[in-house]
Amino acid sequence: MENHEQTWAEAMRAGRRGDAAAYEDMLGEIANVLRRLVRRRLARLGLDIHETEDLVQEVLIGLHTKRHTWDEGRPFLPWLHAIVRHKLIDAVRRLSRAARRRRDITPDQWAMLSEVPAEDFDRALVNLDRHVNGLPFGQREVVRALAIEGASVRATALKLQTSEGAVRVTLHRALQRLTTAANLELSKLFGDKA
Amino acid sequence: MSSVKETDRLIRDLAHELATRRGRTAPPLLRRLLFVAAQSLAIAIALVFLLYGVSPELMVTVRSAPFHHKSACTLALACGGFFLVREAARPEGKMERLLVALLPGLALLALGGATDASGLRTLGLSGVAFPNCIGSIVLVSLPALAMIVGTLRTGAPTRPIMAGAAAGLLAGALGAAAYGFACKQDGGLYVAIWYSAGMLIVAGLGALWGRRALAW
Repeated sequence: MENHEQTWAEAMRAGRRGDAAAYEDMLGEIANVLRRLVRRRLARLGLDIHETEDLVQEVLIGLHTKRHTWDEGRPFLPWLHAIVRHKLIDAVRRLSRAARRRRDITPDQWAMLSEVPAEDFDRALVNLDRHVNGLPFGQREVVRALAIEGASVRATALKLQTSEGAVRVTLHRALQRLTTAANLELSKLFGDKA
Repeated sequence: MSSVKETDRLIRDLAHELATRRGRTAPPLLRRLLFVAAQSLAIAIALVFLLYGVSPELMVTVRSAPFHHKSACTLALACGGFFLVREAARPEGKMERLLVALLPGLALLALGGATDASGLRTLGLSGVAFPNCIGSIVLVSLPALAMIVGTLRTGAPTRPIMAGAAAGLLAGALGAAAYGFACKQDGGLYVAIWYSAGMLIVAGLGALWGRRALAW
């Protein structure tokens, strides 16, 4: 780790001079170290290790947006550790909460969730497309990126040049709209019983 | 859930952004913070004169010992608060170690309280003086609080509540320093109790606000 201090601090300085390649290499190395660290920590906490990559990205984005707060006169690793800690604590709290909520789902509800849907898939897809097209532009972009292309919230926020929070809020609104639309469809199909 | 490949793409994007957004470097935090603190004090003083008017005895007041005592206490606390805020802006900042920076201001306040021989009542000249005093300090500190929290947001505070409290302390101390121009209560004990209360309230508001505003 002791030469990480030197090489990464040097890469940060190079980045400030506009050397994007050195900065990119550094981010790659940090991502590798983080990947191992995050996976270990998630496993130890009994959380889903499939979240590893998301958390790695979250830390990298935090590092990137706050890179100006590193003071070149001070050591780099303590700064990096503080950012990693801050981001991971946040994420672990969020994941634990989500895991608790999942445990609260009853077996019946699980069965319902995993049931093979009875409706016609092709039609469902066509309808999905139609409903998504009916969304306002911003919501449409977010739903496309997240749900259809499968990008992460971070990548989407970066792509649309907005914050992760804004992406989540937009997604939430879009889902509400889609739910309303879907309910309407159902009540048309089944009368008012749905 | 994303893949390693997506992370690599993200890294490329970030590096690309670094390359394209170069040259847009903000001035160092210390300088911005100093500027904001000076501006906050000026705005607080302007607010005090706006609210209470310029008293005809102002020149006498600013030459009096009680005014000097109030200014010394509050400005010393503001200095301590300033160091705390600067520390809070760095992700690896250790604010506990810097709590000693508040000692000079607190010592001056305590000294004023302990050696209070003015015989003035602790509650102030009239019964309504102290709520008025606390309210004024809080009120004139609010613009300062907003500006300091705004500056902290450009840093990377990893403990939002503590950082917000530090911002509130700095804002409250600056507001209290400004309020000294209008305050007619000169007892050392009065200042030690009610000025502290005003500053603490602003620090509490800062903590509450920081919890939301300083999360990232």
